[in-house]
Amino acid sequence: MSGAGATPPGFGVGGFDMGALAEFWAQAGKSAMQAQGQAGRMLAEAMKAVPGMGGEAAFAALSPHTAELARAGQAMSDLWTAATGLSHTMSSALASAGKTAHPTVDSTLRAVADPRTWLATMGGMDGMAGKMADGPQLADLWNAERQQARVAQAWMDVRRRGLEHNAVVLEAWLRAGQAFTEGLGGQTQADGRMPDQKAMLALWTETANRVLLETQRSEPFLKTQAAMIRAGTELRLAQQQVAEGWAKSFGLPTRTELDDVHRTVTELRRELRALKRQGRPAPAAALAVRRIPRKETKP
Amino acid sequence: MTKGEMTPADAMTAAASAMTETARLGAKLLAGTELFGRLRNTDVQIATTPKDLVWQQDKVSLYRFRPLAGQRVRVPVLLTYGLIGRWTMTDLQDDRSLVRNLLNLGVDLYVVDWGNPSRADRFLTLDDYVCGYLGGCVDEIARRAGVERVNLLGVCEGGVFTTCYAALEPERVNTMTLTITPIDFHADAVDERPGHGFINVWARSLPPEDVDRLIEANGNLPGEFMGAVFNLMTPMRTMYKYSFDMLDVVDDEKRLLNWLRMEKWIADRPDHPGEAAKQWLKDLYQQNKLILNELELDGRRVDLGRITMPVLNVYAKDDHIIPPATSRALGAKVGTPEYEELALPGGHVGVFVGGKSQKMFAPAVAAFLQKHDEAEQDGTGGSSAA
Repeated sequence: MSGAGATPPGFGVGGFDMGALAEFWAQAGKSAMQAQGQAGRMLAEAMKAVPGMGGEAAFAALSPHTAELARAGQAMSDLWTAATGLSHTMSSALASAGKTAHPTVDSTLRAVADPRTWLATMGGMDGMAGKMADGPQLADLWNAERQQARVAQAWMDVRRRGLEHNAVVLEAWLRAGQAFTEGLGGQTQADGRMPDQKAMLALWTETANRVLLETQRSEPFLKTQAAMIRAGTELRLAQQQVAEGWAKSFGLPTRTELDDVHRTVTELRRELRALKRQGRPAPAAALAVRRIPRKETKP
Repeated sequence: MTKGEMTPADAMTAAASAMTETARLGAKLLAGTELFGRLRNTDVQIATTPKDLVWQQDKVSLYRFRPLAGQRVRVPVLLTYGLIGRWTMTDLQDDRSLVRNLLNLGVDLYVVDWGNPSRADRFLTLDDYVCGYLGGCVDEIARRAGVERVNLLGVCEGGVFTTCYAALEPERVNTMTLTITPIDFHADAVDERPGHGFINVWARSLPPEDVDRLIEANGNLPGEFMGAVFNLMTPMRTMYKYSFDMLDVVDDEKRLLNWLRMEKWIADRPDHPGEAAKQWLKDLYQQNKLILNELELDGRRVDLGRITMPVLNVYAKDDHIIPPATSRALGAKVGTPEYEELALPGGHVGVFVGGKSQKMFAPAVAAFLQKHDEAEQDGTGGSSAA
């Protein structure tokens, strides 16, 4: 993450400063989101300047993608700002519960105030889609310019869809945080003391699980996740096209050719199995088969 | 003192409690570190019940388990798992093994292992698995045992294979037992329990053309892809698994090994052959063809009404992956009045590895099999020898 090299304030100055940590991650996250949008614009400008890349036409084709990527980045940045506000509120509430009695509980509660934990967990599909899409990198020996532009286009779409999906996840985190804060208020004891950390963890677990499960079934989550999977798929296919061109030039078998062979072999095996079964003697006719009237079935 | 402040006595108590807790945790971590340092991957074994390879075709292997008790069910049983995960979960460890429990009850048990599909297998279809490989397994078992019909025991997607085979070849099936098997893929909405049936909702959210492109890009449905979907279904459990859950067992060798065995099984996620995955997601999850009797395999319609042999349908009461209603829908569709259901406590995997289920599952299946154990068909009183 850009900006992550700076030493976070509050560390090593006695005690753990959750508010400062939240501020640090917020700034780092915001910078990253803005940088992604900027990167898209710069990439398009650079490609426009390279001879043979298709000039204005290529730039024009990429422009909607860079604009969308920038918009998604801005939306995510705005959400991140809102998340940090809630993070401060939650940090204050947790700090008032007193010094930790259980280091693991304490570290988990710290993670509660860190929106990145949510993205890491719920964004599992993002990582998976990214892993499936990125694949092995190729040297640009046989740089079919249009195919490369297609790959760039697909890459930006993956980033954009990932941001859109993570925005939905982050919104869920905000809702869970708010519900947790309200629940915490309800559990505050009559003498004004907060519940102990184990009780807080139990409340957080139950609240977060409920909100996450509701979010998973929501249209925004399903829609953005499907879009993210589709974008990852298209990137992989675009990369495979580049790989095919490269392999052909060097006389290497291509994926298309191998699939052709595999399809043929599968069909031949299917026919062979069928022939073998035809050649077997039929089961004995005199079976004590239970005759049970068949129910009426409607196709 | 203002409201919310601790008294000095309370503060002392809290501090003492914190120190005790910290010491306990320290001891736990120390013991856990020693244990981890000692354990090797070879110490974590699953599916250890002895068996012999009796038949192979392409990447498919058929095994026969060695008996652990005198035979009490004459007609052999073929255990069929699906293509998502592996059958080894049914034999996770000695005291958590449906396989061992059935063998101890005198069942002659076989299991089919689908192998590790690669990109070379992307064009295999459900037709190949049901009519080809499963049919081949049934033929081989029948030949070896000298019977005309075998008992089928299907699990999850393997239960769907079993159901289709029983509908297409009822004369080859003595009884059919299904476990946690989806039949009506749209019945997830019946129960409406939070978090239940997410895969049904998720699969329906994917445009069919996206499923095609996904398979085109990857050849198969990657095992880790489905693993990620499963993790989504238990979000907080996934988050805490390698912290709280692991911390809970790290200093107890027996419990740690149990935990590691489950991890070993979870990590074994073969890829799902591409064309079969398309049928699974589109024909079944999206179009729900099985319950509608619209599914076609090998050019033949799978008509659930042709399932005329006795059926035992086992489901897990708290199954969030295969909601009970999606399994129980079978009862209204089969062509046999000899249809029974068994509801087991626990979830999708808990049915096989949970303590309570161990006492109920295998005895119920064995009793069902014994009740419908057929006399020898060919009049020779044939043997079960190879």
